[in-house]
Amino acid sequence: MTATMSQCLAQMVQTDYAMKDYQSEIAPRWCTGCGDTAILTAMQRLCRDEQLPPEKTVCVSGIGCASRLPHYMNAYGFHGIHGRALPIAEGIKIRRPDLNVFVTTGDGDNCSIGAAHWLHAVRYNMNMVVMLHDNQVYGLTKKQASPTSPKGLSTNTTPGGAMLNPLNPLTVTLGISNVSFVAQCVDWIPDLLYETLQMAYRHKGFSFIRILQRCPNFMDHHFDNWMQDPARTRLLTHSNGLRLKPEISRVYKNQETHDPRDMPRALALAALSDEVPVGVLYRNPDVPCYDELRAGERPSTPALVETVLNEEFDKVGIWPAESEQAER
Amino acid sequence: MKHGKIVANPAAHAPVTKTLRPALFARYADLANLRHDYPLVLVDFGEGRPLVRPLSRIIDGTLRLVAPKDLTGEAMRQQLLQLEADIRRRVLAGEEARLSDFWRDCTAEMIRAKGEGPFGGLDNNFEIARKRLPYDGLVIGCNGETPAKVLRHAWSAKQAAKARRFRRVVDSLILRLSDILKSDHMKSDEAHGAEALEAAMGATADGSIDFGALSAVLERARPEDRLPVDRVARIRDALQVLKGQPFYGPGRASDTTPCKRDPYNYTFDTCSAALDAYRDRLPDVLAFTKALTVAELEVENKYRPELHDQILARFDESDMSAEQINMLPSALVCLRDGETVSAETARSFEALACGLPITVLVQVDDLLGPTSPEPPVNSFGAGTARLAAMAMGLNNAFVCQTSSAHINRMIDGLERGMRYEGPALFSIYSGATPNVPDVEPYILSAAATEARAFPSFTYDPSAGSDWASRFSLAGNPEAEKDWPVHEVVYENAKGERQTETLAFTFADFAICDSRYTRFCHLSDACEDALDRVSAAEWLTCVPDTDPTRSPCVRVIDPENQLFSVVVDTKIAEAASRCIDAWRRLQELAGINNSHSRRALAEERLKREATSTQQAAAPAAKAVEADAKPVEKPAVPEPAAPVESATSDGAAWIETPRCTTCNECVQTNDKLFAYNENMQAYVADPDGGTYRQLVEAAESCQVSIIHPGLPRNPDEPDLPELIERAAAFN
Repeated sequence: MTATMSQCLAQMVQTDYAMKDYQSEIAPRWCTGCGDTAILTAMQRLCRDEQLPPEKTVCVSGIGCASRLPHYMNAYGFHGIHGRALPIAEGIKIRRPDLNVFVTTGDGDNCSIGAAHWLHAVRYNMNMVVMLHDNQVYGLTKKQASPTSPKGLSTNTTPGGAMLNPLNPLTVTLGISNVSFVAQCVDWIPDLLYETLQMAYRHKGFSFIRILQRCPNFMDHHFDNWMQDPARTRLLTHSNGLRLKPEISRVYKNQETHDPRDMPRALALAALSDEVPVGVLYRNPDVPCYDELRAGERPSTPALVETVLNEEFDKVGIWPAESEQAER
Repeated sequence: MKHGKIVANPAAHAPVTKTLRPALFARYADLANLRHDYPLVLVDFGEGRPLVRPLSRIIDGTLRLVAPKDLTGEAMRQQLLQLEADIRRRVLAGEEARLSDFWRDCTAEMIRAKGEGPFGGLDNNFEIARKRLPYDGLVIGCNGETPAKVLRHAWSAKQAAKARRFRRVVDSLILRLSDILKSDHMKSDEAHGAEALEAAMGATADGSIDFGALSAVLERARPEDRLPVDRVARIRDALQVLKGQPFYGPGRASDTTPCKRDPYNYTFDTCSAALDAYRDRLPDVLAFTKALTVAELEVENKYRPELHDQILARFDESDMSAEQINMLPSALVCLRDGETVSAETARSFEALACGLPITVLVQVDDLLGPTSPEPPVNSFGAGTARLAAMAMGLNNAFVCQTSSAHINRMIDGLERGMRYEGPALFSIYSGATPNVPDVEPYILSAAATEARAFPSFTYDPSAGSDWASRFSLAGNPEAEKDWPVHEVVYENAKGERQTETLAFTFADFAICDSRYTRFCHLSDACEDALDRVSAAEWLTCVPDTDPTRSPCVRVIDPENQLFSVVVDTKIAEAASRCIDAWRRLQELAGINNSHSRRALAEERLKREATSTQQAAAPAAKAVEADAKPVEKPAVPEPAAPVESATSDGAAWIETPRCTTCNECVQTNDKLFAYNENMQAYVADPDGGTYRQLVEAAESCQVSIIHPGLPRNPDEPDLPELIERAAAFN
């Protein structure tokens, strides 16, 4: 293989991407104080620290406030249609496995209209990072109840208060077969958000991160209980999981050592209602990836596709005129 | 006479006039009825399949699947074994066909012979078994062509695997380069023209769309950033070379357009031809390697003309790495003792020594050579048996020596040799020699290995750095002994059953050769004659101690009468040369290694000299010292830097907790700024008022701004602000 030679030559090309190289010309149009900015920053930090070439990075989104993120990244982007971020990302990954695929989606986008795609994307376990920006409300359309809105939340569609218990994206994801990486973060602890994102990126498979995200406009003070009382944030640490910096440890003293391989405990943690678990709930690097299983011996070139199709058609080829003559 | 039954000759004084065979051959007189490694199936290559498999093993495997172990399976077992015997008989008669063809013909014959029609019981049984046959492929017998056939088969399998890997890499590069050109083309005038747009609609366009107007609309949104012209040219050139490569055929549905010229042939009859071809093809190889490198850089967008142009312009054969050469097919050269001119032997060593991926088969048909030393004519001569051992001295070549009969046992070595990325020599004795009439090549080649005349061994330079990991004698019968030992059962003059243990020596092998028959003399028959010892014994000790005794071997005549023949010094000397060479090989494999024996003897002497007590005391101390853990110097853990409110009352931010929400920097972007991680810090405490600090602290969503104490005592409303700030300090 010439890999060594081209690798040597490629190393001559110095790339040193800085944060600004990942910032597009469009300034973020999120409200001041919006949690999405923390997520964008964490993503740009990850790209810089992993030195991901912008031309090898794709951000895919659906519809919603969160889904504006691809516009603000200087990388390839696909602002898709409502709920369909994941099928688009899967298509990109299977055709271009060399690209780093990131999906940003919101609670409405992913858990409501896109719920079916979400389940199957977990099952396919294709190598990508999915960030669920969960502000528990439809913000772009000015406050309607989303599947994760808490019971009793008064919105434009539920003026008398939401009537149903919210859906828990963590327990749902953990319950789907082939799940390989589930984590939860909060946008107001950006250091852990960055660390978790980095682990998600380095995990081979479908890395699902639910990020609790503040919406200062429509859900102001909604997360105050958790933000102001560090004891209600439970940090999940492990030698294979998050490792805390002293300044974080000093503030957040409620910590638990959790082995990311421990599924029963992960389910119990995901179901906590009064505390917010932050960290990697579950990680299993041995789950096969659909994109790798599907990768054939040969690339699917147009010529190969044509030959295979022709071979199939030839199996049932009929020549009526000749066969009739032969019968006679 | 019953097959294999031997009768001791009562009195034999006759000279050697008839064909004599070693007594141990008696059991193997009728190969057609013996289940052995032949017929051998050259299995059609594919992932996870063996290279070759004896027919008997395939039948056994199928029987295990289809015939129950009890009596119900008995009929099917007998039918399949009968079928196997039929195929074996046909192959021994010189027929050659695929297993499925043999199966069809032989079963049809058996069904006819039994008087059954199609879909009868017998046909049904054969059909059940046929469906469970794991492999198909060419069925070959053991003859003069066997080594070349097996090696060509193994080589083709390796080339097919290489071609698959090659096409995967090249096709995917072609696809990705074409994608780059295609996406550039989509921005061109042509792609935006009315014609292209109409063509894109397909045949259904009915005139309802004005493609000219559509083109004008699209024109406004057309991206401007076209690829640089030189990059497009570079990609086109690389694509052309990759698509037109002449090393492998296009394969099934390859994206490479079929080569204008035929793909190169890589099988040669002489090493000179192989080396010449290598030189002739070098420009193509270089062009391809360059194109591949350019392509790999281009798809990663890492090609920089100012850096790489010069390097690639200077690129020549001396820059080629082994990996690059190994991506392309390796050459196969089949040489045959007696057919290939002698000068080619020297060339083969040259070819092996230069390190190119070249696989050389030296097929040996005549092992013993002429009876008197003479310059070889078109033959590797007496050196043939040592050719492989000599090649080990090259050190970089994979070497495998074996005989036709042992090919299946040595198949692992054969596969490793094929996988080896570098030169490889296979020296295989076919057993098909005109000087030994009436002995099947299978028996003779097995005998050559048994007699240590042509031992099986492999030398694999990639297996490790020492002899122990590189060299292996596995596959030889009783490799730890001088000669393998067998029992022979015969009937003596009184009709009693006798058992004798015989070693199979080089002398036994040599007497088969018609040229050496005159060096044997029938013994006086008295089995206990004092001056007769077995050749094995004689070779071990006698020549030095008792020159009057002479070696003899046990032989049989075509009627299975048992004799002893005394062998002449000619054979005895050749036998001692043979055993000497075998012992050297044993040493390489770690059997009776002279260095270690010498070291062992010296050590023993030393031990005897020193008293055990004296030796034990310091040893115990040494053990104790070893067991004691090395104490680590205590290094104090560096104290974690802890940020905290500064005592001097300066304002500060818990930067790692900042969520980049823009609140503070929108309040005052001189006072607050983002660091390289886009997280806020107090950039200039004098850049704003204390009021701004306090307000920023209050509006901070995550409450990480600590305003400290006011720096300007003249600021208005200070007492109130200090009170408000207290909550955040």
